[in-house]
Amino acid sequence: MDIGFYLLQLLTGLAYASTLFLLSVGLSLIFGAMGIVNFAHGSFYMLGAYLFYAFTRGQVEGFWGGLLSVLASGLVIGALVERLLIRPIYARPEEHQILLTYALLLILEDAVRFFFGAAYRSFPMPEAFSSPLFILGSPFPSYYLFLIGLAALFALLLWGFLYRTRLGVWIRAATQDREMLEALGVNVPLLYTAVFGLGIALAALGGAALLPLQAATPGMAVDAVISAFIVVVIGGLGSVWGALLGAVLIGLLQAFGILLLPEWAMVFPFGLMALVLLLRPWGLLGRPPAVRT
Amino acid sequence: MRLALLLAALALLGPFMSEYGLKLASEALILGLYAMAFNLLFRQAGLLSFGQAAFFGLGAYAMALLTQKAEWPFLATLPASLLVSALGALIIGFFSIRLTRIYFTMLTLAFAQLLYAIAHKWYAFTGGDNGITDLRPPGLLGESLPFYYLVLLAFALAVIFLAALEGSPFGYALRALRDNRARAEAVGIDSFRHLLLAFVISGGLSGLAGFLQGALQRSVFPDYLFWTRSAEAILSTILGGSGFFLGPAVGASAFLLLRVVVQAKTEYWPFFLGVLLLLMVLFFPRGLTGLALGLIKWPTEVRRDASGG
Repeated sequence: MDIGFYLLQLLTGLAYASTLFLLSVGLSLIFGAMGIVNFAHGSFYMLGAYLFYAFTRGQVEGFWGGLLSVLASGLVIGALVERLLIRPIYARPEEHQILLTYALLLILEDAVRFFFGAAYRSFPMPEAFSSPLFILGSPFPSYYLFLIGLAALFALLLWGFLYRTRLGVWIRAATQDREMLEALGVNVPLLYTAVFGLGIALAALGGAALLPLQAATPGMAVDAVISAFIVVVIGGLGSVWGALLGAVLIGLLQAFGILLLPEWAMVFPFGLMALVLLLRPWGLLGRPPAVRT
Repeated sequence: MRLALLLAALALLGPFMSEYGLKLASEALILGLYAMAFNLLFRQAGLLSFGQAAFFGLGAYAMALLTQKAEWPFLATLPASLLVSALGALIIGFFSIRLTRIYFTMLTLAFAQLLYAIAHKWYAFTGGDNGITDLRPPGLLGESLPFYYLVLLAFALAVIFLAALEGSPFGYALRALRDNRARAEAVGIDSFRHLLLAFVISGGLSGLAGFLQGALQRSVFPDYLFWTRSAEAILSTILGGSGFFLGPAVGASAFLLLRVVVQAKTEYWPFFLGVLLLLMVLFFPRGLTGLALGLIKWPTEVRRDASGG
């Protein structure tokens, strides 16, 4: 096998990593800033795919408008969910938060099944990406490159937002010391609404962007949330760059693991996550938890 | 005493239940046992394990593989199932106990999903997602009533054992570690050994529940190991009230009863369960047991070890 083959495999891995990043980065932000373990995160990813289908009515012309609408509605839905459901339980023990978000997972899965049916929903490949690109003489699906570009764009936007705007600085501050931030006069509850909305919007966008490649089912949420946890735990809970690193690692592990041991590719991510937790429990780019007395 | 009365009542009810009622009661007891095993870690030791499905599944697969591949007699696989799941818990616990809080939760989840992936992919040994079927226990235990008594016996022994554990010095040590680890360690409690032992006991009892469930359903599938199975232990526990000794079992019965009632009317049972959980968490965080006791104000059953106490 030649270099071209490995290059294609690398790009395939990165394309997978791109959707993983969009899916997981919000989970990491939400945990980091708000301390909420969101088991419904994969459900918003699933919801994004279905909303995209609903907005475009499955028609290829609606592709770009559909993506934007999903992003916007994800923001609104996320903000509403935070306001109505998450806000009352910030002070509660972790298991209540897990249970509440698990309840959301059950509700959303059935709601989607009710409105869209249990059948697969798919979306045609947009015209612009229908012909493959030739990389070193081998054909490569151009949509994969679009996914990589999309994730890169949002990683950059997120960086700009978190490091170059006041709101972003506050969000980063919230991951370190919420009480101090509040004492300094920042409206932390409003900040939480923004963080949750942003995280949900990105997950929904990830789900929508995957639809031309992979049909949506109501059951995709339970697998997605576990993938997101793996990515975030490997990278470090609360770290945006950790989510990026974790997504790339898992993406490449899948792309190349499938070459080595096709049967066992599904096992690798869990193995990597267990290994990271054993050697560096706070993740590759996470910070060790402060010692509390 | 009250516990003995409850168990006696459950035993006396047996002959009066229909075939279907017996199946349902058996399933409720099994889920109750599983949730109580989870709650040993959760309430006593303050550890939120999201990997109980690993031990539930190990117990079920040990039973299925030993009866079908090694042709062991059904009852002989019971101690083997306990042993296999306890051993699994020893290995997983050995690594997981070192971590705390969400990191512990995530590592237990990772191990359980690892086992799920293996059971799912290893067709030659576990049958993959075809599972292992046709596991009817031979002789009398293949009938519903005797099997119900087997389940009840296992449940009773486990509950009595857990009650004794709670009142023992070991139980006190676990609660001390939960409430203030540094202080408990300072007075000489070896946290690693205590928590590991609790993890192994909880894993073994979860395996027992898995063994019984596999025999009840007469089949074992990889979803015995899937993470939503771990979530079932948690939701039964919180539904019933984690702060009460029998809370998880109450939650498990309520969960199954409700499922039967709702599923008779609509296919959207998860939706109703979700709404119910949402309302419980938002408005009745002490669970059904807490709600009931609050309504009738039963003075002797107030939480004896309220958090921080």
